[in-house]
Amino acid sequence: MLPPLIDALPAADAPTSAVDLRTRALGSAGVAFAGYAQSAGGLDLPVGEQLTDAADLFSDRTTMRAWYRGPADWRVDVVTPTGETGVHADGCGTWTWDWEDAVATWSEPGPLAFPSPSDLLPSALGRRLLSEAAEDELSRLGAERVAGRDALGLRVEPAAEAASVPRVDVWVDRATGLPLRVQVWGDDAAEPAMDTSFLELDLTVPPAEVTAFTVPEGAEVREGQAEQLLQAADRDRRRGPALPSSLAGLDRRVVEGAPRSVGVYGRGVTLLAVGVLPDRAAAGLRAELSRAPGAVVDPLGTRIAAGPLGLMIVDGPDGALLLTGTVTLDALAAAATDLTGRAG
Amino acid sequence: MIVVELRKLFRRPRTWVTIGLLNALPVLVAVLLAWTDLAPRPGEGPAFLSAVLTNGTLYPLAALAIVLPLFLPIAVSVVAGEAVAGEAQGGTLRYLLARPAGRTRLLVAKLIAVVAFVVVTVVVVAGVGYVVGRLLFEVQPTGGTALSGTSLTSQELAVRTLLAIGYVTVSMLGVAAFALFFSTLTDSPLGATLGALAVLIASSLLFTLDAASSFAPYLPTRYWLAFVDLFRDPILWRDVVRGVALQAVYVVVLLGAAWANFTTKDVTS
Amino acid sequence: MSTVIGTTGLVKRYGQLRAVDGIDLDVRPGDVYGFLGANGSGKTTTVRMLLGLVLPTEGEVRLLGEPMPKAARRVLPRVGALVEGPAHYGHLSGRANLALVDAAGPGGSRRTRRARIETVLEQVGLAGVGRKPARAYSLGMRQRLGLAAALLRRPELLVLDEPTNGLDPQGIHEIRDLLLQLNREGTTVFLSSHLLAEVEQMCTRIGVLDRGRLVLQDELARLTSPTGATIVETPEPDRVRAALDGRVLSVTAGRAVVRGADPAEVNAALVAAGVPVHGLALERPSLEAVVLAAARTSSDRVDAPGERSRR
Ligand SMILES: Nc1ncnc2c1ncn2[C@@H]1O[C@H](COP(=O)(O)OP(=O)(O)O)[C@@H](O)[C@H]1O
Ligand SMILES: [Mg+2]
Repeated sequence: MLPPLIDALPAADAPTSAVDLRTRALGSAGVAFAGYAQSAGGLDLPVGEQLTDAADLFSDRTTMRAWYRGPADWRVDVVTPTGETGVHADGCGTWTWDWEDAVATWSEPGPLAFPSPSDLLPSALGRRLLSEAAEDELSRLGAERVAGRDALGLRVEPAAEAASVPRVDVWVDRATGLPLRVQVWGDDAAEPAMDTSFLELDLTVPPAEVTAFTVPEGAEVREGQAEQLLQAADRDRRRGPALPSSLAGLDRRVVEGAPRSVGVYGRGVTLLAVGVLPDRAAAGLRAELSRAPGAVVDPLGTRIAAGPLGLMIVDGPDGALLLTGTVTLDALAAAATDLTGRAG
Repeated sequence: MIVVELRKLFRRPRTWVTIGLLNALPVLVAVLLAWTDLAPRPGEGPAFLSAVLTNGTLYPLAALAIVLPLFLPIAVSVVAGEAVAGEAQGGTLRYLLARPAGRTRLLVAKLIAVVAFVVVTVVVVAGVGYVVGRLLFEVQPTGGTALSGTSLTSQELAVRTLLAIGYVTVSMLGVAAFALFFSTLTDSPLGATLGALAVLIASSLLFTLDAASSFAPYLPTRYWLAFVDLFRDPILWRDVVRGVALQAVYVVVLLGAAWANFTTKDVTS
Repeated sequence: MSTVIGTTGLVKRYGQLRAVDGIDLDVRPGDVYGFLGANGSGKTTTVRMLLGLVLPTEGEVRLLGEPMPKAARRVLPRVGALVEGPAHYGHLSGRANLALVDAAGPGGSRRTRRARIETVLEQVGLAGVGRKPARAYSLGMRQRLGLAAALLRRPELLVLDEPTNGLDPQGIHEIRDLLLQLNREGTTVFLSSHLLAEVEQMCTRIGVLDRGRLVLQDELARLTSPTGATIVETPEPDRVRAALDGRVLSVTAGRAVVRGADPAEVNAALVAAGVPVHGLALERPSLEAVVLAAARTSSDRVDAPGERSRR
């Protein structure tokens, strides 16, 4: 019964500047910890079966346990009432263990990967969102108690016009620089679109056997899904359009090893991904999207916004394209116009 | 007094019929599962059920998970709701008190008998689950796999199963306390049982409601499923500890209320 | 110890209703006390208060010289009770029921339990009942079993609420003999009943309850003591009036009531006057008359409208 009391203590602020705080947060990748975190997202993505795992990450309350020994040695478990999905990282890649299916999946780090629970951990997400923020996008907030610790507030307000996320608040541990809580705000100012936070944090280095993984007896072993998707995308390369160097005012990023038909645009909190969609998947997804409330269907394609996340299917001359990212519907339309040459 | 209550409870055929019925569902599920080989889809169905196809030693836990949401609380409510109100309805309460059994003593003896019932029931469910699991499913001789994918030796598995049995028992104490409290309020055992079940159903319903999230952590059913956390590796104690503390608060408050009511009430049945 | 049951100003209120309204019971050692009252007059409520089942609104109860319900744990093992009909665990045999009840409280030695059970079953006439479950018993057998439970620890005091309910005349007779025998052996019996005849046949002391009030409490012998008149049985009652002018209280067919507590003197006077006398007896009031008279005197009380009609 002590933790609530500790949480109730007033948080002590410190006169650290926003830029210094960001530097400290980015430098916290070496801080080892064991923690218990929860993320709550208000995103209801009307997506099909293939993407449910990723969609669940954003739309549900996700409970995570994390053990972090270093950037190349950690483990994050998503805990559900009846099961558990654990991601174990060593230097070479990750094992994803799904208890209910008794499947262990090996993935090597690829240029593009589906969001995984480890991305939602406040420490990882906080560092990622802060990494590309420009200095003039940063400002300081006060202090808060998170997981019984003093956390200093840092706000990012993206400058890009296409941005659908007006601001992101990151609460950084005063002692270690570890991001303890991340709140991504959408249009609705009352509640963050996504809120991920540590509830318990222990800064002792977890033992190696906790993060290690051995395939259990009787488990099925698979190879990473991201790999397969990339291979599929590679096969579709001939159909892909030549992607422009900028879309909707966002510059294309160079992603090492990614197929040419997949493009990622933007910076920091504002990102837009474009890829070719196999015909079969496109038909199903389009039908699903157009049924979703608030969907916009016009000659450019079908698009929806779920909180700050936008999703669009564009019928290009060489087949369907999927556009998705933290951009506004207008930015999606602009990107579609850029891609097809059609006007909305 | 305590011996008397235990004798009364366990000599009554109805008690064993209840326990038998309680075991019928897990056995039926096991037979269907072994026969069709169709596990529930992940995330659906009771915990551990999909895992028993590959490891029958987990079936005691699956059996507990099957009876935990509904059957077990119903059985506990029936027995605890019966405790005082049943004697009142049968008229034997006045003879016990005129004997004199002592009202506090009687209440304590009833409580202990109810706890004994919970323990016996949970252990029997787990035991039957163990036998059924061994007979119908493949068994890994080395023990089992924790939810986190680490291997557990048979011994570790046994210890954790015992912990789970203990935790499920504790989880039922809140129900028992509700039913026992209602049992001192009314002379109708059915009323007391239904009262306790109404509380549980309300609790389960509110738990799923976002609007009730402010008091969701205090709902009596909130941490029931946390026994699953005992099979993660390392064990996730957070909800287990909270669950035990919460049940303890419910038990203390409700038994206090039951005692205050029962020791000052007119027995006119 | 001068009183076995003593209450002072005992009141039990249920909402507006005063079920028991300030009664002062006085039951002495060796009494067979008849607690008489119509249905709904508050007998059961009083019995429950004596045993600590119902808590008095006002007033005190002393049982065997000790305050109730405070001293319940000391006192009640010495008291046997039957309240508003017997109750048992239907699935258990009579013997198992008795064993459970005996084990449920203090003062019943475990070693002697089996023997005591056999003795009381013998006493109430259930010795041959075997192992069948109590739910298969007839009403009379259940009543006997209830009585057996009350007798199990050789109590000094028996508190019996309507103990002959459900018994046939033969059973009533047996129970009455049993109670009288126990009383001769020193047990005080407190017995509530709405049957006048039953009380009149058995009891030595009587309390009459009327709508919650104790309107009468005295020795039966005193209540029905001679009135000071003599009843003369004669075929010519009119000649009695002529012979004993001024002393005749009433004349009916074949009977005359004459003032004078000495039948011999009356007889001599009548014989002297040549009046044929078939029989002579001292006049005693019937219990019924006494009770009715007592209840009448309390009828001046005023009830709230409709309150009593709930009974
Ligand atoms: N629990 C109760 N609540 C309200 N009134 C009651 C209760 N018990 C008895 N009474 C009332 O008290 C009065 C006396 O009842 P009782 O003692 O049972 O009478 P008796 O035994 O002489 O027939 C009746 O009017 C009855 O209706
Ligand atoms: Mg009565």
